[in-house]
Amino acid sequence: MPGDSELERLYDAHAPSLFAFLLNLTRDEADTRDVLQEVFVKIARDETLFRGVRGERGFLIRLAHNAAIDLMRRRGTRERTKVNLAEILSPFAPASDPDEAIFRDELSAALAELPEEQRAVAHLKLWGGLTFEEIATALELSPNTAASRYRYALDKLRGRLRPLYEEMKKAE
Amino acid sequence: MMNEELEQFEQRLSRQPVREIPGEWRAEILSAARAAQAVPANLRPAPRDSFLSTINHQLSTLLWPHPKAWAGLAAVWVCVGAFNLATQDKAPRIAEKSAPPSPAVMVELKKQQRLFAELVGNYETAEADRPRVYSPKPRSERTECLVT
Repeated sequence: MPGDSELERLYDAHAPSLFAFLLNLTRDEADTRDVLQEVFVKIARDETLFRGVRGERGFLIRLAHNAAIDLMRRRGTRERTKVNLAEILSPFAPASDPDEAIFRDELSAALAELPEEQRAVAHLKLWGGLTFEEIATALELSPNTAASRYRYALDKLRGRLRPLYEEMKKAE
Repeated sequence: MMNEELEQFEQRLSRQPVREIPGEWRAEILSAARAAQAVPANLRPAPRDSFLSTINHQLSTLLWPHPKAWAGLAAVWVCVGAFNLATQDKAPRIAEKSAPPSPAVMVELKKQQRLFAELVGNYETAEADRPRVYSPKPRSERTECLVT
């Protein structure tokens, strides 16, 4: 059973990145909190959980991902009713620059349209800074699958954001 | 050129800052974790990893992507089964129901057959009805027959 200080260390080291990852998956702050709490409760209860684990970050991502998938399945009906993309919470920080704000909104909407498995890989690569090997370990995939999912995701994002991106590039 | 453009696009995406975790969550989540830690193992709810829950989990993993399609398929099979039961032939089958005649009945039947044949005047079975017994003749006899 990890001690208080160990729990605090794990939280401070990993909760911010887990929060962003979970928010991108669930698009709901309350769900993100539930999943994050579930992960830390699980860690606190089971002293053997980290036994034999090589990378604690990857392991925590796996725990969080599995818990988020379970939650989304349970709440699948509610998720499907969120047709209006404006209702979905953006995983990005608000921008002061109007052009950046539009780009982030569009990016958030484009990410929301991706299948969950592609979105998870894209998030971990782009905003988690993980390699394909690390993503593969965390999500229990082969590195090739992780790479191909990332390529599909990037192609879709690029197709969707191309007009806005080109316009912003010209303006710069 | 294409790769360079793609890399620029990737960099642009990765530069977008993600939201920060609300500060008040730290105390709430850690206190919930500590509370769970304090509960003795024997008082915690039993783990759900029973055989049935494992099956349920595996099935839900399999069926989750298209639950409506699977439910529709199951409903079609139920309808087919119901239709099959409703249209089943309920008349008793004579061949299955009738028992073989007893030896006494057979004897009586033979007796009546003989009596009927006597009355009609043709007790013996007709020649044409008798099965032909083919007995091959020796090759030499056949040759004689052909010559004559």
